[in-house]
Amino acid sequence: MKMGVMVLEGPYQHQAVDSAINFIKAALKRGHEIVGVFLYTDGVNNINKYINPPGERNISKELSELGKNGIDIVACTACSKFRGLRPDLKVENVRQSGLGSLADYLRSADRFVSFGD
Amino acid sequence: MEKVMVLLRKAPYGSVYSAEAFRTIMGIAVFEMDICVGFADDGVYTIVKDQNPEKLDMKPLGDGFPMLADFGVSRFIVHKESLSERGLSTKDLVLEVETADSEQFSEIIEEYGRLLPF
Repeated sequence: MKMGVMVLEGPYQHQAVDSAINFIKAALKRGHEIVGVFLYTDGVNNINKYINPPGERNISKELSELGKNGIDIVACTACSKFRGLRPDLKVENVRQSGLGSLADYLRSADRFVSFGD
Repeated sequence: MEKVMVLLRKAPYGSVYSAEAFRTIMGIAVFEMDICVGFADDGVYTIVKDQNPEKLDMKPLGDGFPMLADFGVSRFIVHKESLSERGLSTKDLVLEVETADSEQFSEIIEEYGRLLPF
């Protein structure tokens, strides 16, 4: 099955992005396809390359790792501008783009799953 | 045409969710999708008439919703109980809406399949 994912919350304050990462891993393991992950509103903060939690899971690194494995991960450009997340601050293997990407995921996915508050 | 439902559950001010839901509707409507907008819980306040959020340095959110018809978005569903629990009726709203009880509301969510909850 083809699945699209949206994340509406940032790192460490809410569980949303952790659940999304776990969901994506579990879905891939079962042979599903993830058409893309759209990071929206505070969700864009999850790809900051300076995230550095001593002794804890590194969320931006985990997302970069998923991107490296071929998952399309997009952070909303406008939301990034609002939050000062310049393109050079993001981890590798993710990109910034607009709501058109969300529309693409909605159209190409059989199921769409949102993680938020 | 792909069907998508955008669901507003939160009060229009105090957090960015309702405003972003509106932006999302505008953003994806240009891609010609069959979009339904649902309002439940405090989300019903988003389309109440006579909002005056200027003192919060915000623009009235409700004003934008009647314009969505120009972008091909014309189905608006309000959760009946959420409205009555808040002492409101459809006359208090900025646009014409369908009302749905909890069972009907979940049927509509199922009908649309792809749900964007805010």
